[in-house]
Amino acid sequence: MLPPGKSPATAREANPTPSVTKRKRSRAATGDTTQQSLSLQRPAAARAESAHATVVHRLWLCVYLPSLPLEAIMGTVSTGPCAVTEEQQGLRKVLLANAEAAAAGVRSGMSVNAVLAFLPSLYLEERSPTREEEVLHALAARAERFTSFVSLEMPAALLLEIAGSLRLFGGLAALRRAISDDLQQLGFTAALAIAPTPLAATWLARAGHRVCIRDWKNLAGALSNLPLACLDWPDAITASLQGMGITVVGDCLRLPREGFVRRFGAGRLLQLDRALGRLPDPRRCYRTAEVFCQDCELAEEQSDRELLLHACRKLLLELERFLLSRQLMVQRVRFSFFHLRLPATHLTIGCAQADRSIEHWCELLAIRLERLELPAAVIAIRLRGGKGQPLTASSGRLAFDRTGSQRREPLISQLVERLSARIGDESVHGIMTVAEHRPQHAWRAARFSAQPPHCQAYPLFLEPCHDSSLLSQRPLWMLPEPRPLGIEEGLPFYQGRLKLLEGPERLETGWWDDDGIARDYFVAANPAGMHLWIFRNRDRESGWYLHGMFG
Amino acid sequence: MNDLLEQLLQSPRLWRGRGPAESTGWQGLSSGYPRLDRHLPGGGWPPQALTEILLEHYGTGELKLLMPALAHLSQAGSEDAARAAGWIAWIAPPFEPYAPALAQWGMNLSRVLVVRPKKATEALWAAEQALSSGNCAAVLLWPERMDDVASRRLQLAAENGRSWAIAFRSVKALSRSSAAALRIRISAGDKGTDLGILKSRGGRPVVIRAVIRDYAAAPEQ
Repeated sequence: MLPPGKSPATAREANPTPSVTKRKRSRAATGDTTQQSLSLQRPAAARAESAHATVVHRLWLCVYLPSLPLEAIMGTVSTGPCAVTEEQQGLRKVLLANAEAAAAGVRSGMSVNAVLAFLPSLYLEERSPTREEEVLHALAARAERFTSFVSLEMPAALLLEIAGSLRLFGGLAALRRAISDDLQQLGFTAALAIAPTPLAATWLARAGHRVCIRDWKNLAGALSNLPLACLDWPDAITASLQGMGITVVGDCLRLPREGFVRRFGAGRLLQLDRALGRLPDPRRCYRTAEVFCQDCELAEEQSDRELLLHACRKLLLELERFLLSRQLMVQRVRFSFFHLRLPATHLTIGCAQADRSIEHWCELLAIRLERLELPAAVIAIRLRGGKGQPLTASSGRLAFDRTGSQRREPLISQLVERLSARIGDESVHGIMTVAEHRPQHAWRAARFSAQPPHCQAYPLFLEPCHDSSLLSQRPLWMLPEPRPLGIEEGLPFYQGRLKLLEGPERLETGWWDDDGIARDYFVAANPAGMHLWIFRNRDRESGWYLHGMFG
Repeated sequence: MNDLLEQLLQSPRLWRGRGPAESTGWQGLSSGYPRLDRHLPGGGWPPQALTEILLEHYGTGELKLLMPALAHLSQAGSEDAARAAGWIAWIAPPFEPYAPALAQWGMNLSRVLVVRPKKATEALWAAEQALSSGNCAAVLLWPERMDDVASRRLQLAAENGRSWAIAFRSVKALSRSSAAALRIRISAGDKGTDLGILKSRGGRPVVIRAVIRDYAAAPEQ
């Protein structure tokens, strides 16, 4: 501990930590003999480092949101006096009050009962740390437009590395103004401070010092006047330091390092060193989620489709903004409608071609929502975007370029989406041939995607076949499953006795996928004039089956 | 005398039984069956209108009748570069349209759209959507039931979307009224498929025997 009468110089002598000795030695080597306060001035070695570090010079802007608990919930509250409460020692006390409430005399720390006694119209809301975190995340995502490096400083601050953005935004003043305007527009009270180290910026912002320190030389001086309260250290430590007569950071820096570590822990010293830039202070870069997921809580239970659609539309707008900033598009979104007592109803909407235009999604949603059965009224809606795909933009066409093929192409996907939105994805498909000799495997349903279904040519019929002498004519209608036929006097029967016209055409094997066949196919006609494609299994003297019709 | 005749022909009050291709200005879509084309006004299927095909049983040549025209529509127009390959929508078909056979008939399979609605009303809705979307050259529909109002809506949607609507109905609907521009009854005869033109806008009812002679053959040229 530092006795009040002792000079800083003696304190330095009494405090020879390894790093300090090293610095002393190096100072001796450079012949720097000027008397310096050890802690407050940057030592020569560090100065040399900083000269080297100017190549990767960093500048941190801290956005501190002192009223975050209040502002985080203000969005759901209409105007009027309101306050956020927090439970402290078993009592509900006011944490923060808005301007109207403060004008009426509501102060933080007052008990809820006392406040309500003189202001019954006060709207009170419990503090919601999760909501605060959400807001902070949203702000961090928004701040990404100003810099590539945003870091969250819990519980109520953001750190923006702005050295790299200065030129783009036209200098420090302009950038600072842009950030502060943006926050103001969103309705947040913010204190901004700029310093070369993240911790220093945070402390300065917390203290409400709207300063801008670009030079290392001024850093220690600016920090030394900060009250201890802005360090956000535990109350016990702050109280203990104040008991020693230490009220500002500068006093703290003058303490012997060894004793400081012993009394208050190495972590506190590390913080001081980091704030002064003596030790590196790595930060985790905030990365926004790649998948969009947002909730919309409704003010009251709602079952009116129009209003639900309106709420969904707002979520879709957010999705569009999200996708736009990432140059992405999605092919599938999922709405979840939450009910008070029942499990949520989910609604997945997909489109054939990835899209991000809200109008398109809204149209699909309106079709689906109209038919969606909601078991109860809805209290909240969640929108979750599917996996994003890189945006593939196509250039627009000139007005006079009106060739039919180009005009028609993009429309079919919209038709397919409209149909599958109402009828179901599986119910709308294309068809394609497969190079297979077994009739049931020679075709396949083709899903619609951005590209038209790839069509493989049937090897036997590369050319459209107009030659009736070619035996293997196929029926235009195929039954999903062969249907057993009745037998009358040894002959197959289907709405009358069948007359075999042509055949047999023998189709065999399929050992490679355990679906082998050994069939003799015939073309048959019944008295009603229907032409049928029937077969008989070869391996056993079994019955006849109907497999297709020459429609 | 000729002038007088011309004047008479120009008069809007005069309704002519034949020659609608001149008077209405539309060109029919060749069915690929010359004997049928001769009896259809405009020399072929009425485009941008509803055609009803009434049949007793599937498998009596109802698809073969349409195949040449549909195949032509599904292929990109060679003589007319502006015409794109049109989509052929199959809505609620009773069986699977068999891709290899369609390819044999010259259908462009990448332009086939099969829709299987679960309800009868959905089928009509889907048909209307497909028709009015403007990118289906033809829409084939197998409705469970279709009343006069539905047929009128389909007819309007076909006109709006400039698309050819084909509805397959049971012969039981023979006596019901319909807004279709063309109604054809298909029945199996002794020598082949007989066609009975029941109603034809600008044409006359007629029965044509044995239009399709073979179960699988391409039309006579």
